[in-house]
Order: sequence, then C-alpha cells, then structure tokens
Amino acid sequence: MRRIRNLMKTPEGMAGFGILATLILVALFAPVLSPGDPLRIAGDPLLAPFVDPAFPLGTDRLGRDVLAGIIHGTRTSLAVGIAAAIAAIAIGLCVGLAAGFAGGLVEEALMRVIDAFQIVPSFLLALAFVSVIGASVPVVVLAIALGAWADPARLTRAQVLSIRERDYVAAARVIGMHPVEIAWKEILPNALPPVLALSAIIVAAAILTEAALSFLGLGDPNIVTWGSMIAEGRNVLRSSPSLSIFPGIALVVTVIGVYLLSEGFGKTLAGSEA
Amino acid sequence: MTIANLSRRTFLQAGAGLLASTALPTLARAQDAPSGGRLIVAADSEPKNLNPAIVASNGVFFIASKVIEPLAEASFEGKDGLSPRLATSWEGSADGKSVTFRLREGVKWHDGKPFTSADVAYSALNIWKPLQNLGRLVFANLEAVDTPDAATAVFRFSKPTPFQLIRNALPVVSSVVPKHLYEGTDIATNPANVKLVGTGPFKFTEYKPGEYYRLTRNADYWNKGEPKLDEVIFRVLPDRAGAGAALEAEEIQLAAFSAIPLTDLARISKVPDIKVISKGYEALTYQLVLEINHRRKELADLKVRQAIAHAIDKKFVVDTIFLGYAAASTGPVPKNAPEFYDASVPAYDFDVAKANALLDEAGYPKGADGNRFSLKLRPAPYFNETKQFGAYLRQALAAIGIDAQLVNADSAAHQKAVYTDHDFDLAVAPPVFRGDPAISTTILVKSGTPAGVPFSNQGGYENKELDDIIAKAAETVDTKARTDLYKQFQKLVAADLPLINVAEWGFITVARDSVLNVSNNPRWAVSSWADTALQS
Repeated sequence: MRRIRNLMKTPEGMAGFGILATLILVALFAPVLSPGDPLRIAGDPLLAPFVDPAFPLGTDRLGRDVLAGIIHGTRTSLAVGIAAAIAAIAIGLCVGLAAGFAGGLVEEALMRVIDAFQIVPSFLLALAFVSVIGASVPVVVLAIALGAWADPARLTRAQVLSIRERDYVAAARVIGMHPVEIAWKEILPNALPPVLALSAIIVAAAILTEAALSFLGLGDPNIVTWGSMIAEGRNVLRSSPSLSIFPGIALVVTVIGVYLLSEGFGKTLAGSEA
Repeated sequence: MTIANLSRRTFLQAGAGLLASTALPTLARAQDAPSGGRLIVAADSEPKNLNPAIVASNGVFFIASKVIEPLAEASFEGKDGLSPRLATSWEGSADGKSVTFRLREGVKWHDGKPFTSADVAYSALNIWKPLQNLGRLVFANLEAVDTPDAATAVFRFSKPTPFQLIRNALPVVSSVVPKHLYEGTDIATNPANVKLVGTGPFKFTEYKPGEYYRLTRNADYWNKGEPKLDEVIFRVLPDRAGAGAALEAEEIQLAAFSAIPLTDLARISKVPDIKVISKGYEALTYQLVLEINHRRKELADLKVRQAIAHAIDKKFVVDTIFLGYAAASTGPVPKNAPEFYDASVPAYDFDVAKANALLDEAGYPKGADGNRFSLKLRPAPYFNETKQFGAYLRQALAAIGIDAQLVNADSAAHQKAVYTDHDFDLAVAPPVFRGDPAISTTILVKSGTPAGVPFSNQGGYENKELDDIIAKAAETVDTKARTDLYKQFQKLVAADLPLINVAEWGFITVARDSVLNVSNNPRWAVSSWADTALQS
C-alpha cells in the first residue's frame, strides 16, 4: 500500500495509474457500455464520426460500430498484454532463478537457451509461432511471452547471483534449509522488485506486438482488436482516415499509460532505496 | 516521345476529340487512333514462367498476350463471341472427332521465321495437352494434329469432344509458341519461357526484375497499321495504394485488374482526365462461392444449406462489400455467359425468418445461448472482398443461430486446409468462370476428384444425377443438346446447393483519358492491345 501511495506522489505514476484505471474499467464494463457483439453490422457502412449520435465514432466498411470496437478492443489489448507479461515473467523468473541458484553446467545450458531466444527478434518469433500454430488468443499470448521471457530471466539471474552470497542466505544454509526452500523463501522475494519494474515495459511491448499481429491478419478474427481495426481501416485510408486513427489513438494512449506507470514505479523504487 | 511530354497541356489540346472518344470508347475505331507513344501500365506480379502456352493464367496473359497470340480472341461482336487471330476460320466435324483450323498466311515470328501449321501442331501436342493447366482438360482426348499444308491444322480426337468447348476455350488455351525454339529442348526450362518469342504486335525486349517489362512495336505484324503504340512498359508496383498515386501523378497511364482498390474508385473517378472502366472483363468472371463440407452432418441436410442461402443478403454483399461493382449470383453459371446462363433456377431471397424456420424444421433448435451449432468458416485470403465476406457471413449466420468461427490463413495454408485436409465446414472461395462450364466450373461440384486438387469439390458432395449430367455434357457434341444439359446442371446445383453462389464480379480498369481503345473486348486486359493507342 505504501508503495502505491508513493507511486501516486510522482506525476508520471499518477497519470499512468489514472489512464490504466480508466482503461481497466472500460474493459471490465465493456458489455455494459456497449452491449452485444461489437463485430455485428449495426448501421450503414462508412458513417462519418461525430455525425450520428448512435455511432459517435462512425462505422466501418461493413457498418460495424467503431466505438463498440474500441471499447471491446480494450479488453483484448489489456488481457493479451497482461497475460503475456505474466507468462513471460513467470517463465523468466523460474529459468533465471534456476540458472542463478544452480550454477555450473545447468546455468551454462540455461543461459545459452536464453541467448538463443534473445538473438531472434521477438516479433519474428511471434509471427512464425502464430502462423504455424494458428491464430487464437492463447496462442498469441504464448507467442508474445516466448519472445519476451529472456529479459526477465537474465535480470533474475543477475539478482540471484548477488543475493545468494548474502549473509542471510548463508545463515539459512547453515540452519539446514532445503535449497528449494531457500530459493523460494529467501532469494525470490528479494530478487522480485526490479523484475516487476520490467513488467510494465513487457506489457507495453506485448500490447504493440498483439496489435501488429492482428494488423497482419494473424490475430483471432472472431474478436475485435485495435490492430485488426487499423488493418481494416487501411483499405480506406484516403477516404475515411478516422477508421485507422481512432484505434491508433487508443493504442497510443494505452502504451503511454503503461510507460508512465512504469516510470512512476522506477522513481518510487529509486526513492525507497535512497 | 517521353512521359514528361504527356503534360496536362497536351491533354487540353486534345480537346473535343478526346471527349468523344472517352464517352464512346468502342466507337473510336482503331483505324482513326493516332500512332506512336509509350503506354505505361501497372503490373503487380512477376510470374516466374511467362509462357502462356504452359501457364494459362491471367497474371501471365496480362504481359504475354501482347507477344504470343492465340488462334482466336474473345470478341463482343464476332460470331460465337470470337474474333480470328492466328486462325482465320475453324470448323468442327459432325462426329466431334476433328476440328479444322485455317491459319493466317504471311505471319512471321519475331525472329523472322515463318509461322506455319507445324507450330500449331507442336504447341498443341507437346505443350497444351501435356503441360498446360487448362489444356490438359480441354485437349485430354487430342490424339493427333494433321498438317496437310502450311496453313491448315486438323485436330483429331480419340473420343467425341464438343466443338462448343474447344471454341469457348480457344482464347485461353491456344497460345501458339514457335516450334523451332522448343523442339528437342526441355520445354519447362526453355529460355523462351522468360524471353518470349511470338507473332504478336509487340516484341519482348527487356525485363528488369522488380522494375519493369518493356515490349516494343513489332514492325512486321501481320495486321498492317497495327500496333498503334511504339512501346508498352509494365511497371512493377506491388503496392495497391501506390498504383493509384502513380496514376494521379501520370507516372503510369493504366491500371488493370483492380490494381486500384474498389474503395478508392469513388475518389479517383473524380480526378480530371482519369476514367474508371468496368467493361472488358466479361470473359474473366470471378464468382464468390460458399464451399460446404458435406461431411458435417448438419450441412449434409439440404434444409440447413437452404437456410444458409436464405440468410445471406446478396444485395448487402454487392452494395457494401463490392461497392456495386458486382452482381448477385443465381447459380453456378454467371450472367456474363449468356450462351449457357439460365435464370429460371430455384432462388433464395434474403429471409431470416424463413431460414430460422428451416433450421427448426431440420431439428436444430436454438440452445439457451441462442446458438444451434458451431461451424468453422475459412475465408480465402486472395481478395479483400473474400475476407470481408467471411466477416459478414459470420454475422449473417449469427442471426440464424449458427455460430461461425472464422479461421484465417495465408494462401498456402488455406489451400492445404480446405482442398487437402478438408479441415473446414464452410469456406469462401473465388473460382473463375472461363467461358465454358466444363473448364473450371463443373469440377466444383462433381464427385471423384482426389484430395489435394485446388478449386475442386473437396466437400465430399456426391450426387449421382449431377455427375451423370456432367459426364454426358462432356461427350455431347451437339451444341444445343450440350447447352441444355448445362441448363439442367444449373437448376440442379441451385436446387441441391452443393455450394452456394453468392455474387459474381469482374475487375476494374482505371486509365488516363489519353489511352484509347480500352476495354473493347471481353478479355481486354489479357488480349493483344494491337489497336490500343495514345492520344498525343
């Protein structure tokens, strides 16, 4: 709680928290704000925005409500972004912890695997993964996590390497604690904060990757996403640019919100350590 | 004359003559059109093999048809919809076992050698029949080609082959290549497949991969006074948005095959000196078809298929997805094939209540969530319109309680999933009608095609009656009787719905007003352009 209070003291943290809280509320209440399937054909095609009060942001080429798409798209973007970040950090923590704590051959092997994943551009990896397995939300989440877990793994290992030499870890060893228990109870809680600070960046990158995959037609076509809305709008970019602009703005706002929050976190962490 | 010279001033000087020619393009006779000039055209693909005798596809014809000519070309006015090219006349025997072509005399290949019946015989027996994608089917029973003299070729068939089919297929399957360059070589790897040598109005001069193809005037063309143009340049512009901008900037003068997206047409048609033409693709009609996997027990029920047909608002598809540049289909033969088209087939008007009633009747009541059952829907990725129709169909089916889950894939994965693995319930496909139902249409519904053949019936549909009609039509020589069989075929397909025909469309040509004699035959974009001219 104290952390959050500190976070709210920084202007970045406050702004980021405000933006994300609003987006999360929109995502949670999407079925109330805009009932029904957001992909249903609701009105005349290509209505201009700010003309018809029933469709404040207009309609797309098939007559689907753009506002409904953006509201429901918030769900996909946040869900995929957060789920991918959780998955990436979970994998990264486990691998980093194992590598750092085990040392020796195991560490060497794990680090080379991490290297391999860091060498391949994460977007290419996601692209290849989704086009081979097929597009659905869980696959997209996994694909993004697959390209994002290497950074937290590296960071965790570095943390573990410094922590495992500390006195309290030595003490735990002396009293005969099981190594797994030491890793879990003594090292992990202390290695966690810097890794969590990385999570915001992973969320932002995951949201952008998801949008890019959808833009290329590799998202789940049965749900609405901002990336697919931009791709749809691209066909009529010169006559109805608003179709690409609105989901684009939503994407920018979300990513800025996540970044601001991560800035705020960074500042409070730096402050508490000083 | 350079491109820079084609300034706005030149267009203004053209004045009234230009206006008259654009208003009535078909009346601007080739003879009156000016000579000279370089036509620059947008091209969006660079086929690896450019030989139309082997690869009879629109992408190849677009460039190659200016260099290599068929025996006859499609025509709006000509008898049986044909105008003579390398053949001057053709006649089928009463028993359907031979067709005699009289060939044009005094025609020379681009390398100076004379064109003779030996070239036709060689092309037919060594390329069209064994190697060509469509010729394999049309010339399946071709046994020999007799050449009693240099200007006569007599095709002999082992089984009766309908003359009507040969005639309708001529513009597509009969590209003649020079025997003296192919004989004794490996045809598939012959350099002439890339550096074409033909008899056409233009010679193949230069190809720069990724940049352009350059064709130059054939001064020895058999039709004196043609070609009108000095050069045709195909500029490779893979980005569709780029073609529109290039046309506006006068970097290109013509974009065929809907290189300018439909959504951009309303805007670009208002640009001065640019015309949007939907004519000239009548013999290249694409059909928007819903393929059905009859292995699903729900879809094997005719009532369910009828319900799906009733759930599709064809007017919405034509007006919103195709922006009016299409027509609603009634059956497997498009209206652009008046020889075969029959409008008196069972029709399925847009009626959601009726569709719901049919599904209730079929024994699939709506569940608590409003759904009757779920289906996997695969829209073909080749066109924007097929993908959009997929998105529309999902909504249309939701209205009758069918939950369609869209699955997108790239071209290769889509073809494998639908035509080899049968991993679909519904699929959206854009097959082409090629002038005769026997060429690429009956295969969509007849049974017995092995898995893996793309654009064929892979939905497990089997109808003995329909198969019999198709088999009988394939060997019926009498034109009237054969046409009647295809009318029965249309009725049966529309009644039993092995697939659902939704719409049919042609492409759009966008050209600068200075280009004359555009779209004056039903395959214009893939014809020789001998009479195409530039107003200077």
